[in-house]
Amino acid sequence: MKRRVWFALLFLLSSCAPHDQRTAVVIQRFFGACEADYGQQTDLAKADGECGIMTTMINRFEAENPDVRVSQNIVFWPGYDQLTAALSSNNPPDLVTMHGSVIADYQARGLLDPLDAGLAAQGIQPSDFTAAARRAVTLGGWTWGLPIDSWTTLWHVNLGLFRKAGLVRDGHPIMPHSPAELLAQARQFKARTGKPYFVQISANEYASFARNFYTLILQQGSQPFASPTRANFNTPQAAAALQVFRDIFTADLTTKNEDYSAAIAGFMAGEGGVVLVGTWMVSDFDAAAAKPGSALSGGYAVVPFPQLFARNVSWADGHNWVMPANPARTAKQRNAAYRFLRFFAAHDYDWSRTGHLPAMRSVIQTPQWQSLPHRAELASLAVTGTPLPKGLRRQFPIETIVGQEAAAAISGAKPISQALADMDRRVNAILNNL
Amino acid sequence: MSARQALAKLPVALVALGAALMAAPLLWVVALSLKSNEALMADPNAVFDRHFTLANYRAIVGDGQVFGWILNSLIVSLGMTAGVLVLSSLAGYGFARLKFPGRNALFVVVLLGLAVPEQAVIIGRHQMFAWAALHNTYFALIMPGMAAPFGVFLMTQFFRAIPADLDEAALLDGASHFTVFWRVLLPLTIPAQATLGIFTFLSGWNEYWWPLISATRKDMFTLTVGIASQQMNFAQTEGLGFLMAQAVFAGLPILVVYLFFQKYIVQAVAGAAGR
Repeated sequence: MKRRVWFALLFLLSSCAPHDQRTAVVIQRFFGACEADYGQQTDLAKADGECGIMTTMINRFEAENPDVRVSQNIVFWPGYDQLTAALSSNNPPDLVTMHGSVIADYQARGLLDPLDAGLAAQGIQPSDFTAAARRAVTLGGWTWGLPIDSWTTLWHVNLGLFRKAGLVRDGHPIMPHSPAELLAQARQFKARTGKPYFVQISANEYASFARNFYTLILQQGSQPFASPTRANFNTPQAAAALQVFRDIFTADLTTKNEDYSAAIAGFMAGEGGVVLVGTWMVSDFDAAAAKPGSALSGGYAVVPFPQLFARNVSWADGHNWVMPANPARTAKQRNAAYRFLRFFAAHDYDWSRTGHLPAMRSVIQTPQWQSLPHRAELASLAVTGTPLPKGLRRQFPIETIVGQEAAAAISGAKPISQALADMDRRVNAILNNL
Repeated sequence: MSARQALAKLPVALVALGAALMAAPLLWVVALSLKSNEALMADPNAVFDRHFTLANYRAIVGDGQVFGWILNSLIVSLGMTAGVLVLSSLAGYGFARLKFPGRNALFVVVLLGLAVPEQAVIIGRHQMFAWAALHNTYFALIMPGMAAPFGVFLMTQFFRAIPADLDEAALLDGASHFTVFWRVLLPLTIPAQATLGIFTFLSGWNEYWWPLISATRKDMFTLTVGIASQQMNFAQTEGLGFLMAQAVFAGLPILVVYLFFQKYIVQAVAGAAGR
């Protein structure tokens, strides 16, 4: 009898506990956590940086959609190990942040849901995306993600040093239009400032080498991946691409042996004229330039990768929301997830304040976006940003291999022909085993 | 001071120098953790100016989940430690004192476990736990760490070093094997238990890879996985102070363990060395 009373009491107590009636959308994302600063923030105008804006956007979504609860698994960048583990455990999140270059890895194994119908039901069409963003999520005629941005390597310029070098016209930096012009301008820069033209990330990181290399090959109208399963680096175009940076390195027109942190700090300290790094640094450099007495106070400019060969293109990637396949997902959860995507599409401008390029054509065309610092100069990337062929898998490890071999060629550790042959062999060894 | 006196102090000076060399990077980490991220991004040498801040620690503690992650780490580390101590002691006693067919072969099999790296088994292990729907549970986080060949080896050697006369006398007095184990021999292995316990706790606390892929739900993150999840991309550049504060924060509980058990650890290591 006593036991029954206890059970009844326990039952009553558990009934008293508040039961969350909201539909849960489980998301996995990177971009860090900043609950201390933005945990309660819903005013998007007051948010800054990737983490701050992402956190505030999710808070705002929850505030505007009281029937939906967003359960966040924030993961250490990029989080694909955790995603694979969750998929393997049949416990995938509803939405995941994913690079465009990674989508094919999951799509090819049937682990993602196409989003066309769901997005259309929310009034979102792929034609709303910029060309670069659309290329990032389209595979086999289907849309596999909602793009939230595009990003690429930019040339961040110390205008003060460029002015000293005589490389500023009408307030804009003079950019080269060919490898020979680049070399000449870099020599002129060094002669007049005593500093290297480039501040480069060349230690402990290979992505930068690989991305520049891809861009210069694409600019020559060549394609390092003739098909998603075949790499071809033994080409004159690939050799010419490496030769550009080999010449810069040999002539001491770049900083050497600096890792990412050292290169960023070096550029901010006025060590050189141009740092090659992504869209995400625009706000930081702009803020540094606004500080009187800083090495960038003489002016800061940022431009897309200059056109050194025949075509005006830049290698590009982007961040996207994708929906892992999950037969157990209810219609209610699916609908809540699509409403979340609609919210992100509608707030693409807010996300673009991170420095990344908007994924929506309508945002790029607005005076609001164009009036953000330096954005007008970058708008062309929405068209010229070009990913590697969709369907190409293992792009992250391939990027490391390409970067390693490119670094070896540029530093002179290997002849260019040898580095390209090794690159070709190593990358195809991966692709042949898929 | 005579030359002999100076020579006598040389070892102390060398130890002090070694200690300073060991402490310098730790102090550097603490100093960086007290600087703003913006200042460090512009100039890593900003550590030498006089502006310090606790903002990075506020950012860590401000995420309410962090205390849940500490609790998870404590449960996992203590659970793993208790499991390893129980299993290793029982197995060590068995291998050292009991005679049964295949004992030596089984001992070799256990020792072979020392040669198998985690990387070789982690996919199979993950699939096994996925099949049993055990991911995102404490059981999944604790269980794999309880297979400790080193612990079995250590305890076996320790039991073997205890004179057999002790348990023979107890057996003659009518004690069972479990009584001999529990009342006579186990109390003598406390130094080894302390050593094994401390190292298991530390290993459990610092474990990253398995919790990373087994605990995919935020409320089940351990501290190591949780604080890593807080990092933004390029944290080493844009959030260096925060990164260092995370290192200090994650290391503090370990420091406390060392401070509390310092005497025991030294005794255990000295005792083990004496044998």
